[in-house]
Amino acid sequence: MLKKRLIPKLLIQHRKLGRTTRPVLVTTTRFSASHDVGDPVSQAKIYEAQLADELIVLNIDGTPIGDDKLMLELIERLAGETFMPLAVGGGVRALDDFGLLLERGADKVSVNTAALDDPDLIGAAANRYGAQCVVVSIDFRTGADGASFVVRHSARHTTGRTVLDWAKEAADRGAGEILLCDADRDGGGDGLNWQVCRQIADAVPVPVIISGGCGRAEHFTEGFVKGCAEGVAAGTFFCFRDQNPMQTRAHIRNAGVAIRMET
Amino acid sequence: MSCSSAVVGIVDYQAGNIRSITSALEHLGARAIRIRAPGDGNDATHLLLPGVGAFGFCAGRLRASGLLAYLEEWTLGRKRPTLGICVGMQLLADTSDEMGFQRGLGFCGGEVRRLTSTDPSVRIPHVGWNAAVFCDDFGEFKSGESADFYFDHTYGYRTPISGSVLATCHHGETFCAALRRDNLVAAQFHPEKSQAAGMRFLRSFMAM
Repeated sequence: MLKKRLIPKLLIQHRKLGRTTRPVLVTTTRFSASHDVGDPVSQAKIYEAQLADELIVLNIDGTPIGDDKLMLELIERLAGETFMPLAVGGGVRALDDFGLLLERGADKVSVNTAALDDPDLIGAAANRYGAQCVVVSIDFRTGADGASFVVRHSARHTTGRTVLDWAKEAADRGAGEILLCDADRDGGGDGLNWQVCRQIADAVPVPVIISGGCGRAEHFTEGFVKGCAEGVAAGTFFCFRDQNPMQTRAHIRNAGVAIRMET
Repeated sequence: MSCSSAVVGIVDYQAGNIRSITSALEHLGARAIRIRAPGDGNDATHLLLPGVGAFGFCAGRLRASGLLAYLEEWTLGRKRPTLGICVGMQLLADTSDEMGFQRGLGFCGGEVRRLTSTDPSVRIPHVGWNAAVFCDDFGEFKSGESADFYFDHTYGYRTPISGSVLATCHHGETFCAALRRDNLVAAQFHPEKSQAAGMRFLRSFMAM
């Protein structure tokens, strides 16, 4: 049986440290006010030892990946020093960017803004690299009327499209996975928006990952059981709380969710 | 053969994730070399056929690179131990129905078809950790043993005609997770991304 996935999310920004610029692991709250956490490769190795099922690595600087030598080097190092699946995104603009990241050891490539600008990119990437490596990442906010809309550029702009509408279109066009993030809940620790996740999971045949809001182990269980998510991703939760994937995993398994317990 | 004396020739036809598999092999103490042209890699003790992307694209690249003849000589003719991974496994079939009808290398026969599911909770693509159940002994794995590996695919290898199923996996339906024909072994999952179980699988291959 296919296991549900527990996915630490590594958000990356470039920081000037003395004379050099280095990629640093950060956390965000509602997509802003980031805290620096440390070295992404060291943290990835810790997550691997703790049996994380996959890593999502997102550059949130917005630099086009084709120009981002530091990010490409980071992916190479992550793929060289850990032996687990990597989904990588942030700054993916063109079809060739998928190839750039896959060559450096990414297994899946996440695309967000560029897919909104040019939805044909989804189908082109699926035809060239296979649907299973094309992840369409969707950030959303929920208005006072309860409707959830897609947002872009670190949630500063709304697109006027509902999450449901865009997720369905992305899956129809060949996305192999949908990665949802609730911008309102990001970094808050008050629980996932499993309701939106469930709505999307019921409407598309591909796996759906939900993130934004994990604060306790039971939030993961809600994502899997109520939200029908195939994976739950979290950044702040794993970085700052006295929780690690192993403890969280035990809690989820005790709730009856099929999950990996050993390699 | 121990891992430290293995020299693994990775068939580089510009359609595979070479970096991750190279790191995994080196982590195990083996030497990994790239085979870009038919004259390369005569000192390799093992061969590895990776594959990421669409079946037709990979098959076309392999034929155009001249490396298909290389595999025919070394894998089929001289029986050098060879491991196909993911699309590198699917290419061993006669045909695939990915984006129409595609012709494979036919080393192991049979067909690759899109995975199907009637259960909405069984999602396609098949992404994540799933159990491969071995139906034969293979190195460190015993027949009947089950281990979780990382899968990421939309199409599945049905029963090979030449050679036999080494492990099965179930996702909506049962498909061939690994196969073996003499010196040729192939896996649908990614051993280089499957942490400890993946390392055991690669060690088992290099012991061939």
